[in-house]
Amino acid sequence: MNQSFYGLLLLIFLVAPPVAHFMESHMVIHMHMQMPMLVIAGMLMARFFQKRFPTFFEKWNSNGIPGILLFVIIVVYWMLPRTMDEALTTNSVEVFKFISLPFLAGVSLRDSWKKLSSLGKNIIIIGFTVLFIGLGWLYIWSPVQLCNNYLIIEQVTLGWGFLLTAIGMIVYLGYNFFIDPSAYE
Amino acid sequence: MKMEADLKVGIKEKANKMLGYHPQDAKLSKSYIAVAFIALLVGGFLGLLQGLNRAGLLELPTWFNYYQVLTAHGLLLILVLTAFFTIGYFYATLSHNLGGLLPKVRKLAWVGFFVKLVGFVLAVIPILMNEASVMYTFYPPMAAHPVFYIGLALIVVGVWLCCIGAFIQVANWRKNHKGQHVPILSYFATGVFVLLFFALMFVAVEVLFMILPWVFGWVDGINVMVARTLFWAFGHTLVNIWYLTAVSAWYVVVPKVIGGKRWSDLLTRVVIIALVIMNITGGFHHQIIDPAINEIVKFMHVFMSLAIGFPSLMTAFALFAVFERTARRKGGKGLIGWWKKMPWGDVRFLAPFIAMVAFIPAGAGGIAQTTNQLDQVVHNTMWIVGHFHLTLGMSVVMTFFGISYWLVPFISNRVLTPQINKLGVIQTWIWTVGMICMSGSMHYVGLLGSPRRTSYSTYGDHATALGWDPYLTLLAVGGTLLIIGVILQVYAVFNMMFFAPKGETEFPIAEEEENATKTPYWTERWGLWIVLMIIVVAMAYVIPLTDMIVNAPPGSPPFKTW
Ligand code: HEM
Ligand SMILES: [Cu+2]
Repeated sequence: MNQSFYGLLLLIFLVAPPVAHFMESHMVIHMHMQMPMLVIAGMLMARFFQKRFPTFFEKWNSNGIPGILLFVIIVVYWMLPRTMDEALTTNSVEVFKFISLPFLAGVSLRDSWKKLSSLGKNIIIIGFTVLFIGLGWLYIWSPVQLCNNYLIIEQVTLGWGFLLTAIGMIVYLGYNFFIDPSAYE
Repeated sequence: MKMEADLKVGIKEKANKMLGYHPQDAKLSKSYIAVAFIALLVGGFLGLLQGLNRAGLLELPTWFNYYQVLTAHGLLLILVLTAFFTIGYFYATLSHNLGGLLPKVRKLAWVGFFVKLVGFVLAVIPILMNEASVMYTFYPPMAAHPVFYIGLALIVVGVWLCCIGAFIQVANWRKNHKGQHVPILSYFATGVFVLLFFALMFVAVEVLFMILPWVFGWVDGINVMVARTLFWAFGHTLVNIWYLTAVSAWYVVVPKVIGGKRWSDLLTRVVIIALVIMNITGGFHHQIIDPAINEIVKFMHVFMSLAIGFPSLMTAFALFAVFERTARRKGGKGLIGWWKKMPWGDVRFLAPFIAMVAFIPAGAGGIAQTTNQLDQVVHNTMWIVGHFHLTLGMSVVMTFFGISYWLVPFISNRVLTPQINKLGVIQTWIWTVGMICMSGSMHYVGLLGSPRRTSYSTYGDHATALGWDPYLTLLAVGGTLLIIGVILQVYAVFNMMFFAPKGETEFPIAEEEENATKTPYWTERWGLWIVLMIIVVAMAYVIPLTDMIVNAPPGSPPFKTW
């Protein structure tokens, strides 16, 4: 219960207009801090839903694959420049962002991750790594401004954010591959 | 006869094993510590020359001018003294805690030792030839002789080797002690080497990929802002590495010396983790006055810097709690009466204690400097020099001195005699008075506008500059006291290393409180802490660095300003 409550508090904090305004004023903070934090808020709140509707999750997400697919779809959707732009200009899209990221992506990620096999987990991480490299490349070297709301410099910064995240994930994959934690614990 | 002798040797070996003493590892640490204190001796004399010059008492000759002296003083004391002491101390710790160094780890540390020495010699030659008066910060567009930077790069490689050695040692121990916590002092060592490893990456990129191609003339210009930013990501972390090293002795050794118990193991480890995660990003507070970083980013970094203050405050609280508890257990009474129960005559306590007290004004000064408006007043004045002689020259270095009075006997298989202890106590007071005079006058004269890194000048007998003179004289007085302190300290170290009576010395590590709660295992997940550290670094650096690179002005050609 406790963590669900903190998740809710985090969501309220993120939605609060001054916070949202600040975070959305930088493209990279918008995508790489606000959005992940929305997902994290959802992951914290997932406990509440899992307890409340256990049969629902059991029935629809018994092996974790439907949930993770939903997560991927939502997250990839929000990585399109066009959707970010729309969130800034159209209120209803902004609302959709604040609902979809925590409740559709966050909750389903929490419910699915543990159910996935390690192969499944690796596929997801590798998939996102490749995607992030692609997006990093796109944002850094795109000759045109992709968002109406952000200058090119913002776009390039975001590109580097993507590339660094991808490097971080590669390091993580390597670490996982070479190091067996059970040898130490 | 023979049997008896054999028996004796056998007993001795056993006793050494019990004390965790390994002769080959001790030799390694001894070499590191010896270099550290030779650096102190030479660096101290150079400091004296500077102090006398600033007071207008000594004109330096053209073949060895103020800026050569200053560059060498900075490098010797900020790089050689601290790096060699830290590595010597923590390698002794790893050896003692973790059942002796693995042969390959010892070898790595020796290779590192010589690579660093070669690097240092290469860096010093151009300084002596007046080809590298760029100060220890070597900010472009000032450009030194390429050999200077090659020397620096070798020093980086040498330290890296020691980091890798430490990682291998700790990983190996953990494999053989599944589910156990790494002993606390080795845990500090792990934190320090993790920070060193990552911090050095920034300066390595700066030197190898930016400065060297530029001084060799392969590229025309250098991005000054990026270079400075990379330097301070390293430089600031180095500062906190010293601090973490000193803190390790405060938390673990000092309680043992006063006969007390260690403060909460869990919170100690949390302090280490917090410092590792949040550290690197503090680098921006050295660039508060730099252009090309926008206000929002600067504001964010004030926040980051102050966040590091939190574990520091926790440290202060913890240590005074330990002192009071111990003194009360020994019968100390009253609000301040317990003070009398502290072992004031024991240099192993006195030196680190004064170091801790010095950290109170030093920390307060640091908080002032990280505030934009206040920093405008003191930036590049002697105030800053006063600040780091208080933090580094007092808090950190006096802790190192205090450590030396048991570490050097321990690794030399000798004892601390009452005479040397007494000498140490005298040394400690001389250093304290000297540093208060020197650092105090530096702070004050800085407020009056006296610039740092500037040899003596009256600016054509300008009234303001003449007003600095009394303080600069006090600075020289303090410097003179300090050089006496340096001589005593170096004498004590080499006496304990080679001449003190043989005998066993204990490696003082305090126990946990009896009713301590068990430390949870998550504190050992270094993989996770490193990932968090990288995330924090990325959050802090991606925005300003992209801005500096994409919106860069034309690069600067190299300049020799001296
Ligand atoms: C005998 C003791 C010492 C004396 C008399 C002394 C004196 C000085 C003086 C006068 C300056 C130059 C200020 C300027 O013109 O900007 C200076 C700079 C400096 N000192 Fe010391 N110092 C002593 C010990 C130490 C110690 C123990 C450390 C560090 C462990 C240290 C680290 C530094 C550093 C890093 C600089 C700055 C160099 C630069 O600006 O490039 N000093 N010192
Ligand atoms: Cu700093």
